[in-house]
Amino acid sequence: MEDGKKNMALAVCSGCSIGASLDVGKLLDSAVEANQGLVCMEHRALCSEAGLTGLNTLLKEKGVDRLALAACSPRVKSKEFQLDGIHVERINLREQVAWVMEPEHEDTQLCAEDQTRMVLAKLEAIRENIPYIPESISSEILVVGGGIAGLTSALEGARAGYRVHLVEQSGHLGGYGGRIYKLLPDCESDATLKEPDIHLLVKELEKLPGVEIYLDTRVQSISGEPGNFQISLDKNGSSELHVGAIVTATGWKPYNTEKLEPMGYGSERVKTLEEFELFVQEEPIPDRILFVLCAGSRDEKHLAYCSSYCCSAALKQALYVRELNPRAEVYIIYRDIRTTGFQEEFYKMVQADDAIFMTKGIIDTVTDRGDGMELVISQSLLDEHVILKSDMVVLATGMVPNTTTDLQLQYRLGKGLPEIEYDFSDSHFICFPYETRRTGIYAAGTVRAPMDMEMSREDGAGAMMKAIQAIECVKRGEAVHPRAGDLTWPELYMERCTDCKRCTEECPFGSYDETEKGTPLPNPARCRRCGICVGSCPERVIGFADFNINSVSAMIKAVSMPDEFEEKPRILVFVCENDAYPALDAAGIHHLSYSPYVRIIPVRCLGSINKVWISDALSHGYDGILQIGCKPGDDYQCHFIHGSELTEQRGENLQETLETMMLEPERIQTKFVEITEHHEIQEMINDYVEEMELIGPNPFKSL
Amino acid sequence: MSEIADIQPDLAFKRELSQLSGSQLNQCMQCGNCSAVCSLAPADRPFPRKEMIWSGWGLKNRLIGNVDVWLCHQCGDCSSFCPRDVKPADVISGVRQLSYRHYARPRFLGKLLSEVMWLPLAIAIPVAVIIAILSLAGTFRIPEGPVDYSAFFPHGLLNGTFSAITLFFYLLASLGIGRFWRDMKRQTPPGEAGMRRLPVFRILGEILSHSNFSNCGSRKAGRFSHMLLFFGFALLIVVTLYAIWATVTHNYPLPLSNPFKILGNLASLMIYCGLGIMIWQRLFNKSVFGKSGYSDWLLLVAIGLLTLSGTLVQLARFGDWSLAYHLYFFHLVAVWFVIMYLPFTKLGHIFYRTTAMLYARSIGRK
Repeated sequence: MEDGKKNMALAVCSGCSIGASLDVGKLLDSAVEANQGLVCMEHRALCSEAGLTGLNTLLKEKGVDRLALAACSPRVKSKEFQLDGIHVERINLREQVAWVMEPEHEDTQLCAEDQTRMVLAKLEAIRENIPYIPESISSEILVVGGGIAGLTSALEGARAGYRVHLVEQSGHLGGYGGRIYKLLPDCESDATLKEPDIHLLVKELEKLPGVEIYLDTRVQSISGEPGNFQISLDKNGSSELHVGAIVTATGWKPYNTEKLEPMGYGSERVKTLEEFELFVQEEPIPDRILFVLCAGSRDEKHLAYCSSYCCSAALKQALYVRELNPRAEVYIIYRDIRTTGFQEEFYKMVQADDAIFMTKGIIDTVTDRGDGMELVISQSLLDEHVILKSDMVVLATGMVPNTTTDLQLQYRLGKGLPEIEYDFSDSHFICFPYETRRTGIYAAGTVRAPMDMEMSREDGAGAMMKAIQAIECVKRGEAVHPRAGDLTWPELYMERCTDCKRCTEECPFGSYDETEKGTPLPNPARCRRCGICVGSCPERVIGFADFNINSVSAMIKAVSMPDEFEEKPRILVFVCENDAYPALDAAGIHHLSYSPYVRIIPVRCLGSINKVWISDALSHGYDGILQIGCKPGDDYQCHFIHGSELTEQRGENLQETLETMMLEPERIQTKFVEITEHHEIQEMINDYVEEMELIGPNPFKSL
Repeated sequence: MSEIADIQPDLAFKRELSQLSGSQLNQCMQCGNCSAVCSLAPADRPFPRKEMIWSGWGLKNRLIGNVDVWLCHQCGDCSSFCPRDVKPADVISGVRQLSYRHYARPRFLGKLLSEVMWLPLAIAIPVAVIIAILSLAGTFRIPEGPVDYSAFFPHGLLNGTFSAITLFFYLLASLGIGRFWRDMKRQTPPGEAGMRRLPVFRILGEILSHSNFSNCGSRKAGRFSHMLLFFGFALLIVVTLYAIWATVTHNYPLPLSNPFKILGNLASLMIYCGLGIMIWQRLFNKSVFGKSGYSDWLLLVAIGLLTLSGTLVQLARFGDWSLAYHLYFFHLVAVWFVIMYLPFTKLGHIFYRTTAMLYARSIGRK
């Protein structure tokens, strides 16, 4: 596939009602008209064995290296249409044309022809890709933090055959889990409290080959990129490591007890969960113990969130209080009992002990009466206000994550990991657990979300698997996630760069550092391939081999523009590949029809849309531009964190530009959908087209 | 809320209640389904949701003397709809059982009739007292000739002593009821409107019509069987009063054709039917009735034996059976169990529930 020698082909499938909806012959004619020498083929079921054999024979015979395949959505049949040595671009004639537009209608035909020409233009414009692989790659892994998550992580990494460096700032391994009296049961098999087993993990880890443990050690700096991180530790003066990936499991600290004084903290008789865990190992247990759940949690004045472990931990302590002192009575005042996962079974077991009393209630006051504590509780199930007396009060306080600036990242965008809500370092916790916003650095355990020990173990293992995946992907020059396997990467034409720093600032993943002169210094292995830098660059110097300024501009211009008297508007729709495109496909599957005036261009992220494409489209004569992406905000669904947000901000600047061009600002709109909103996306498109028809044709159309 | 109440969890009380009701009280999640489905719960602070958590915390001083647990007629709807199988109906019934014991004066009578280990003593007391009376009267022997019960236990003596003992026991019980009234007043004070005149006739209407049973979904047969027993007993009381009057006017014993005799037998038949339904339900409908305890069976068996022995005593007289006097003696012990012990057994609900209903209606709680 040398430049200048492109042998392109177009294969059209007429199955799945494409043939019934479109005049395939006419479609092929129009494609050939725009691309002289195009190899063409039609089959009524391309994905069938006969279809594929025919296709392969033809491609080989004609020496084709780039194929435009007009059939179903690229989201299906991807395996069937993966052809060795041939770059395949799919044209979605089924879900996005035949199934949503009126069959055998002129506008439907025009839409199909345009979409075909757009992909052919793209094939013509894309460059050959040479994957980026760092020069020196290390397969070693650094684990920061020797608590339960870090230990498990190190253990899993070593078991998988990777060399692991475990760094712990204190003088011993085990963390919080190493100090506790009993563990919560593993409720899948049985529901009795377990003896602590952290020392066993430590023992096993010490025996494993390829594990290096650094106690009383802190990280001094981390620089580089996945596959190639340079670490310096403050051990023995200073020691240097070269690792491929990092797991950070630096854990949590208890909530600031000073703020718990209104809840009686300060009295000898008031302890936190952590203090009580140690207390029972040293002192006799009094006869009446009262637990206050959600102490300083789920409260805007304290920690606004639920730490998810405290209810279970308090129930656990209630149970061993009863074991250690059979005369003891335990009172539990909760707001809601939240025993996560299998701990629900454990909760039921605790209920079986009739000396454990529970009620919902809000603690009004806690007073030390000298001979015991007296609590006034309101909104309890027992009564509006009640007074309870006990010998000791245990406050179930929540988890506060430790700061990640201790990682000392030598990144332009900061020393720590970016945080989501409440200072926890993570990416989207449902879609991408462990994946912090720094590629190659994975968060495990309570530093990324509040959780119990069982979950921390799972987390340690999960984050280690991600770290290994990162190293192996980097070795092959592939993106790690979420575009796993993507071999392209952003290449910069530095000669034209003006050092405006927009790419370095807007990259959600901190891919770009800076040289001393202030020039962007890309670290391609950190990149998630979202293309937000492509969208950010005013000089248009950033691009991927198959997704760049030219390739999208070529697609925009490949549409044949009817003149203003034909009353056939043309709407350009940029669709984010992650949620909006699948939603559009789902609309097709449900046969939710929308206007045939739209021309769709999928993009890696809304944030990857460059301003030049907008002006290209307006000058080419499109009547409107609609951008559809994932939902931004606190519960964002953008795969690249703030791509949608950036587009909204950039959109505001565009509006001003439109006004100076005397164009209606409504011509460019940005909308957000969830992947499940196929009805909404249909309405969105149709409402928009209607609005554009009212506004009238783009005055630049006939220029 | 004017004053803040001290909560004093009583683990022993909770355990006793849990054992009596066969319920895992901690499992109650306070969803309130029980109160929602209850056809008798008042709209304001309905039962038994709050009683369930008080039970879970062993709050004896909120449960004993609680008016609401007596408004419950144990239809079992709450237990049927309980998603956690905590059986509120049985828990509330357990509270009532503990109440009989709590208010029993003298206290040992409450204990005597609530635990199976004391049953021999509970039987021995009437046996001894009857033997003592008969020995004093000099008639403690099997009389010669055709069966004549008055030759064994002269009617005047029987009516006199038994009435006196019954009155004595009920007088003792009234002390407990008095305390019960004060407790109800303390726990559920009358609202601003204060107390109304006691609505005696309204309560009588409620009792006679069995209207409180009628909305029940789970124990459809409950109303019918209770009516049979209730009116059977009412008839028997009328017949007995007539019989006492007859012994005074000297035309006793009554022939089988006497309308009162017929009425008496009809009443027995009603009791047999009612009792049959109740026993059947307790034995074979456990899902609705839950756990039947000692106090449930004590009452059913006592009533059954009372009625059965009464029928047999009558047959023995007409048939001139040789065992007639033994049966008669047995019958008298059964009478003691049901009538004299009434305030201390489950039958005590005649007093306690009526009192509670009077109090509830007089403070406008319905």
